[in-house]
Amino acid sequence: MLAQQLLNALVLGSVYALFSMGFTLTFGVLRVINLLYGFYVAAGAFLALVLVRDVGLPLWAAGLSAALATGVIGMVCDTAVLTPLRRAKAPELASLIVTLGGVLLLNSVMFLVFGAEVRRFPVDVLSQAPISLGTLQIGEVQLTIIIVVAIVVTALFLFIERTRLGIAVRALAENPDAASLMGVNVEAMFIGISFIAATLTAIAGILIGLNFNAVDPYMGEPLMLRAFAVIIIGGLGDIRNALVAGLALGFVEVMTAGYLSSNFKDAAGFAVMVVTLWLRPSGLFGHSVVRRA
Amino acid sequence: MPPWLDDFLYAYGSFIYGLGVNAILGLSMYAVLALGQLSLGQAAFMGIGAYTSAVLTVRFGVPFPLVLCAAMTTPMVAAALIGVPTLRLTGVYLAMATIGFGEVMRILYINTDYIGGALGFSGIPQKAQGWIIYGLLAVILLGFISATRSKLGRAFEAIREDEDAARAIGIHVAAYKFTTLLISAALAGLAGALNAHFSSFIGPNEYGFDTAVTILSFAILGGVTTPLGPVLGAFVLSALPELLRPLHDFRLVFNGLIIVLVVIFLPRGILGFRVRRVG
Amino acid sequence: MKRAVLFALAAAFGFAQPALAQDAIKVGAVEGLSGPIAKYGVPIRHGIELALDQVNAKGVIGGRKIQMIFEDSAGQKEQALTAMKKLLAVDHVVAVFGPTLSNEMFAAGPAAVERQIPDIGTSTTANGITDIGDWIFRTSLPEADVVPVTVATVKKKYGVKKVALMYANDDAFSKSGFDVMKAAVEKQGIEIATIETFSTKDTDFAAQLTKIKGLNVDAIGISALAEAGAGVVLQARQLGIPPSVVMFGGNGFNSPKVAEIAGKAAEGFMVGTPWFIGKKDPLNQQFVAAYKQKYNEDPDQFAAQAYDSLFILAEALDRAGSTDNTKLHDALLKTDHKGVLGPFRFTPHRDPALVEGVVVLAVKNGKFDTLE
Repeated sequence: MLAQQLLNALVLGSVYALFSMGFTLTFGVLRVINLLYGFYVAAGAFLALVLVRDVGLPLWAAGLSAALATGVIGMVCDTAVLTPLRRAKAPELASLIVTLGGVLLLNSVMFLVFGAEVRRFPVDVLSQAPISLGTLQIGEVQLTIIIVVAIVVTALFLFIERTRLGIAVRALAENPDAASLMGVNVEAMFIGISFIAATLTAIAGILIGLNFNAVDPYMGEPLMLRAFAVIIIGGLGDIRNALVAGLALGFVEVMTAGYLSSNFKDAAGFAVMVVTLWLRPSGLFGHSVVRRA
Repeated sequence: MPPWLDDFLYAYGSFIYGLGVNAILGLSMYAVLALGQLSLGQAAFMGIGAYTSAVLTVRFGVPFPLVLCAAMTTPMVAAALIGVPTLRLTGVYLAMATIGFGEVMRILYINTDYIGGALGFSGIPQKAQGWIIYGLLAVILLGFISATRSKLGRAFEAIREDEDAARAIGIHVAAYKFTTLLISAALAGLAGALNAHFSSFIGPNEYGFDTAVTILSFAILGGVTTPLGPVLGAFVLSALPELLRPLHDFRLVFNGLIIVLVVIFLPRGILGFRVRRVG
Repeated sequence: MKRAVLFALAAAFGFAQPALAQDAIKVGAVEGLSGPIAKYGVPIRHGIELALDQVNAKGVIGGRKIQMIFEDSAGQKEQALTAMKKLLAVDHVVAVFGPTLSNEMFAAGPAAVERQIPDIGTSTTANGITDIGDWIFRTSLPEADVVPVTVATVKKKYGVKKVALMYANDDAFSKSGFDVMKAAVEKQGIEIATIETFSTKDTDFAAQLTKIKGLNVDAIGISALAEAGAGVVLQARQLGIPPSVVMFGGNGFNSPKVAEIAGKAAEGFMVGTPWFIGKKDPLNQQFVAAYKQKYNEDPDQFAAQAYDSLFILAEALDRAGSTDNTKLHDALLKTDHKGVLGPFRFTPHRDPALVEGVVVLAVKNGKFDTLE
């Protein structure tokens, strides 16, 4: 059973990691808590759903298109909402508020358009019979999640480490002013990062929608809170941290539910977060963010 | 009193009380934001105050003034405990830490049957009258205003503008931050107790992330350059769902839209332009 | 100055009211019509309005029409309270339906009691609703009446000796349903191997289900709202929990959503219910057809209960012969109605008196049908 639980943890953690990586990109580079990500999760899932159900695309095509389309939506929304604040040099907190208003607005619009009821993917889009690997049982959905996340994460790392754009992103995260002096087109980079982050988020949403076979306008909320915990536990600034911390959070939650008590499954992650802040505020791997009092 | 006024006050009484309580919450937010700290624990502290007051009134029959005192002191204890490590943090880290604290508390409430668990705590007598709420609000507001006009106010501003410089000129930053955190917790707890005693029912899901962000938006909307800002922000944001009630389906859309527009076009808050040199 | 401000505010709120027919009887309803709760509040509204068409064709108390005034609580107790108070004190309704959630009823119900206006809960099934006060009525059959029937039936049919229980622990309805389920299971002498919880917003239950799988139980009982619960059912089968482990649920599962979301995994899932869409009697079939035609979707239990409730109110108004609150209150107590939920009467404590309508359903080929 332990092996099965570890597998469960891998699946859950993968989704957390994926979402958190997207979130950490915006957070680390743009320095904003962007609550719109909660909306992008649902947007991606809904788009994929419509493409599969009403347009009849195969799942992989629908998923890819929906993710990219959400990336564009993310680009547009982020820019529309955050750029004016950046220009006005508004306090950091203003972006939190404006994205709060934004997510309220967008979720409500989505609710008006799609209605209250929860939608589901057509039943045969992924087989529900479990596949046996020795003593382990894994659903096709779970396998899909692991594989998709692995592919996306690898692609992301290659991008960040190996391409010039990726290096520019890292420079921007370290020091925006220096990066700009070095010739990085900061505004264009911000837009590009919004696109990438929203795409990642949408993929997470689609995977969750598939795993749970239910899509509703508010499905992004729980992920947002987990992303906070992941960023703190892993430390800011590096998507590697988000990856490891995301997986770790999945592990903590599953182990708590499986071996302690499922009552505290959700609290476990946050408790770890609070303890991390207590003992090592910069996160397990991050740079120091502590100011000497 | 003419019957239509009587009816009107009855119908909207709890709404009007709610405005007052939210104004107190706005001020609790102001206490920490005035120093540039983004602590989002107000919802959690509100919950501690609410449950404490409910248990004391319903299970132990404690007189209301004492209940209010207890509702202020218990969150202060919690604040003191989490305050020490978290005060070293900056900006959005503190925010996320306090949100996490709120979530842990929420799950604790759900799992504690003595206070009703997920079913919540009902049957709380209606002891929070309008004059109590607005009287307290007035006193607190006056307290803040006179504080900002004094030397304290200048110290706040110095810390808000540049913490290191303030430290350099001898302001004991850590002490100020710690104290304002305690005050913020006390006020939030008080608000929680008052809310419990006019809505007769409280539940664990009312003190989570959504509430924390709502309280924050009171302060942001109104601006933190003067204590009146969060009060105004609280009134406007609390009134919006009610004033927009005739718009039915589109209420939440408008609510969100208004928040977005105000923040983009008035990033320092509605009262932001009234920045006055203190002293 | 203060009076002028108050007057202006009152006028502003006053202008927001729709124009009224002179002798219409105003009835209010506080329901969750926006936000995540809308999936319950909207069917309730539909059910009431469908019944309203029929009632107003004849009118009540000598041809007067009922005018429904709906207020949205968005599932928030403060808004439910304000909405209730507005209906009572500004609209002066003679009766109120709702609120939708038990939480909201605990907050807003006392207002109706204070103002001595009958408040009929059509969807609140937690314990203690009618204890709020003498003016609170309930037409929704509480879990405490339905779940024991389900448990007894499951045990009898499948010889269940060991069970795992799961429930959503952050929702009053699910928790309350769980308490009833646990008591019923214990009363039947069934061993409880483990109790697992989850959050209504969770989407992953693999950890809890894997643990349950290792305990070799005969059955799994779940208390949750439809979407969350259906997700559990789906993942249970995905993780390889065999069909020989039967699953059953509380009231929240009486919804077509379960089979929709869980697909094949839902086959055999059992739930006890006071109403189901396939019930053969002509009254019910007529209701289902009319609802489908008007709203282009299937009715659910919330719609059905709301539908019956409006008729119950209309009959009480006729019986009372006036809109006087005391007469209406007493007339309601004398209710003897045959509705789509079957025969209905109130107990002296204003809860549903009859449980004969309760039937245990099981999912067969993607739809709920009576258990053979």
